[in-house]
Amino acid sequence: MTTQMTRASAPRTVTGKSSRPARGSAAHVGRPGFAWAVPATLFFALFAIAPLVMVGVLSFMSWNGLSEPEFVGLDNWTRIFDDPVMIQSIWLTLLLTLLGVALQTPLSILLGVWAAGEQRNRAVLSAIYFVPLLLSSTAVSVLWRALLDPNFGVPAQATWLFGDGNLFGKQSTAIGVLAFVSTWQFTPLHTLIYQGAARAIPQVLYQAAEIDGAGRFRQFFHITLPQLRNSIITSMILMVVGGLTTFETVLILTQGGPGTDTTISAYYMYQKAFKSFDFGAGAAIALVLVVAATIISLVVVRLSGYDKMRGTMEGMS
Amino acid sequence: MRRRPNYLAGAASLAWLFIVGLPLYVMLAATVQSRSDYSKGGPLSWPEGFTLDNFTSAFDEGFGEYYLNTVIVTVAVVGIVLLLVPPLAYAIVRSRSKVTSLVFRLFLLGLAIPAQAVIVPMFYLISEAGLYDNLIGVILPTAAFCLPVSALVLSGAMRDISPELFEAMAMDGATPRRMFFQLVLPLSRGGLSTIVVFSALQAWNGFLFPLVLTQSDSTKVITLGLYNFQTEHGINIPGLLAAVVLSMVPVLLVYLFARRALVQGLMGVGGK
Amino acid sequence: MRTRVRFSRVLACGVALAAALTLTACGGNGASAGGDDKIHVLVYGDATNKVEKAVVDKFNKTSKVKVVLDTIPGADYQQKLQTIINTPQAPDVFFNWGGGSIQPFVKADLLLPLDDFIAKDAKLKDAFLPSVFDSAVLDGKAYGVPMRGTQPVLLFHNKKVLADAGVQPPKTWAELLDAVKTLKAKGITPIALGGGDQWPTLMWFEYLYDRIAGPELFKKALSGDKDAWASEDSKKALGMLKELVDAGAFGTNFDSVKFTDQGSPTLLARGKAGFELMGSWEYSTIQDFDKAFAEKSLGYTAFPSVPGGKGDAAALVGNTNNFYSVMKKTKHPEAVAEFLKLMYSDDFVKQQLAIGNLPTTTNTEQYLDTSASPAFSHFQFDLVKKAPTFQLSWDQAYPQSAATPMHQAVQQFVNGRLDADGFIKAMQALPTE
Repeated sequence: MTTQMTRASAPRTVTGKSSRPARGSAAHVGRPGFAWAVPATLFFALFAIAPLVMVGVLSFMSWNGLSEPEFVGLDNWTRIFDDPVMIQSIWLTLLLTLLGVALQTPLSILLGVWAAGEQRNRAVLSAIYFVPLLLSSTAVSVLWRALLDPNFGVPAQATWLFGDGNLFGKQSTAIGVLAFVSTWQFTPLHTLIYQGAARAIPQVLYQAAEIDGAGRFRQFFHITLPQLRNSIITSMILMVVGGLTTFETVLILTQGGPGTDTTISAYYMYQKAFKSFDFGAGAAIALVLVVAATIISLVVVRLSGYDKMRGTMEGMS
Repeated sequence: MRRRPNYLAGAASLAWLFIVGLPLYVMLAATVQSRSDYSKGGPLSWPEGFTLDNFTSAFDEGFGEYYLNTVIVTVAVVGIVLLLVPPLAYAIVRSRSKVTSLVFRLFLLGLAIPAQAVIVPMFYLISEAGLYDNLIGVILPTAAFCLPVSALVLSGAMRDISPELFEAMAMDGATPRRMFFQLVLPLSRGGLSTIVVFSALQAWNGFLFPLVLTQSDSTKVITLGLYNFQTEHGINIPGLLAAVVLSMVPVLLVYLFARRALVQGLMGVGGK
Repeated sequence: MRTRVRFSRVLACGVALAAALTLTACGGNGASAGGDDKIHVLVYGDATNKVEKAVVDKFNKTSKVKVVLDTIPGADYQQKLQTIINTPQAPDVFFNWGGGSIQPFVKADLLLPLDDFIAKDAKLKDAFLPSVFDSAVLDGKAYGVPMRGTQPVLLFHNKKVLADAGVQPPKTWAELLDAVKTLKAKGITPIALGGGDQWPTLMWFEYLYDRIAGPELFKKALSGDKDAWASEDSKKALGMLKELVDAGAFGTNFDSVKFTDQGSPTLLARGKAGFELMGSWEYSTIQDFDKAFAEKSLGYTAFPSVPGGKGDAAALVGNTNNFYSVMKKTKHPEAVAEFLKLMYSDDFVKQQLAIGNLPTTTNTEQYLDTSASPAFSHFQFDLVKKAPTFQLSWDQAYPQSAATPMHQAVQQFVNGRLDADGFIKAMQALPTE
């Protein structure tokens, strides 16, 4: 969740800055100096930038936590890209991320548009919708692991639906569970984004369309969706980056299993570092994750021309 | 003007109600049953008896202490964020210094650093500093990873303060310090409440840092308590789910009393 | 290299400074600080902790230096231990499995040889069965004192389920296969398996390999001889295991079931499964949540013999015992020595027996009748006494870095993702040092 939200504001504020450079013609007096930014910058440099630099250094070293680290050149890098489990983990990460986008986007658009309406019962219902947001990823995973226990959870009582309940024992169902649980957890967040955006669509647009005799579907595809474009991008960046860094869910629900069948990259990194004590390889995988997250966010922003369309965003609040 | 009902979205919302509601029902029903009643009736049945034992036994398992630890972490993280971010955002928005715009880029870059990526050196740093298995060792990195989003949200809020107000104060000869306390802080209350809720949620729900940086009961936070409960007594489903319910109670209270701030904090975006 | 270390020292100082600032900023919060007159003892978190707690309480009553007992839940113990052992926050004394599990620490020169302690109090060595004590002796030096019970892996069963199905506890592999068929026909999962944890599955491999090839095959493999895994005996063992899986012995959802969360023992206790192959701690685990069942209906036998195999039918697999090892950097070696002496005390032995563990002290035999289940204790004791060999669990014998890939290979062979050749390749790829 952390990083999932984290990413959202990046492009937005970037654009916010670029669209309003050097504000106004204010006098040069009364402006704060750099000193105001120093404490936060030092703190952040110490706890985020410095460790990131150390990850970079560590990815060229061999270290098991016991002896002194040794410099080994590109060894970790060649090893992780020769490692079938690592390659598989990249595909699994992509698959889970895409599944998340494919499941959550249409659902949360529909729900968001619906929840933006005005009827009274919606307020009550949408309050229930958002309950998953109140749970931490840990709590959500623990909840679903308990609910889906084959012998003591729901599958035991609903064999018509779950069969033998071996949800965590097959790759297809284990992936299905992971995709479903993240959908359950995060759809409300995306619904909120779309709800806010849908409320901001000027009603005049619909009234005009109605006069032109456009039906519900035409209205949806020609007015609602285009108007939601920026929210769709925000929400997708959230999903993609969240998908790349999913961790608790895998640790608690499947532990990367059966075998290595749900070992996604973020979990594989943890496993390499803290289970096999191959900190060098763990660091290399960590860097891959950082680079992937940055590139994907940038690509989505560029492709969508998002950085040039701040205008419609102003309505969303 | 009345619009026709949207059947598709209505159907999706009903389906979603079921998908969200059923697990929540199962969860609540299980927590008020004894373990034997639960295993007799199964998760989908109407609860036979009623007991609060699961909640009291969660506290016997140490949940009270975990609560306290989590509160300490949360308060400290929010404190650090409130101490560091407003001056930072103020500088980002108002400073003309080139260094400040570099700093701003640094924080933008920071958005792309997932906590997982730095966990190995973080562990090394914290343990070298003698803070392993100490709540401070959890507080510091958690707060650091709240900074980028908080800085962006709050600087967004500060940008919306009209430049004329600054100019007016500058005419009166106000120092940057006075502007900060008399103008900027009062006018960015919305942004401040968003970063408070955002960082509080990060701290309350944090898992990876406590997982790697603590080990004993005296430093356990709720998420870790849940995880350990699950790995040790995973099939004591009523007890486990009672612990899950307990973990969300404080967030639920915030939701009931400060829904708007919570929603904005959750999104960590659009918090204007 | 040097600069890197210095760089991180500087960073660490920065962290400490930031911490100090936080402390003053929030007026000092309740975070725990390590006092100087304490010994931290780290143990594997499970049902046996109540005995360890009792021992610690007893020790603290008389000692000036207090022992603090820290537990880490079983599933995470080994990894957490290695994570912290070379940091300032390492415990003074920690639980381990002896042998390979402490070898890297000995290599890194982190452990205190206990020979000085033993010189002062010979009972720290002589009070324990030599064969057990020796599994924590490395390079001729003692590094551990046995602190729990010996844990052979046994075939447990639900007496009532077997009686209802008219099945006798199997003595041979063929009888086990028959029992599986009968139970399956009755709609009962024949054998409970916590496949989600992976190591319970490994136990089947350990016994079958031992019965069919004898203990030498594994010894060879561990010494780096990759051909051992490709031998005829290895293939035969895999074939027999496959036959058992294909007969439906473990049902179909075993990979969704875990032992550590009490899933599989509950299946056995509730009569949903007939057998479970598990370490002797199964007894204390079940006793913890269903005392009546543990005492009345929990049956146990040795692993069945495999006619034609090279291994001895009396040979055992499992953990010889758990040990307390001592960190070199402990500030209170005398207090630690005093604490370790409790591990052979009569009270301790009785308490272990009372929860179904079988300590490995020389005075254990005289207290067997005071145990939670004298029959179970006698049975185990005789088994251990008669066993010609006692194979340490594979995942404890191999280096820690081999554990994850080994567990995965085992799980994938049993769920069909790997065939015999694939499994052999995976085992050959394991690091042996």
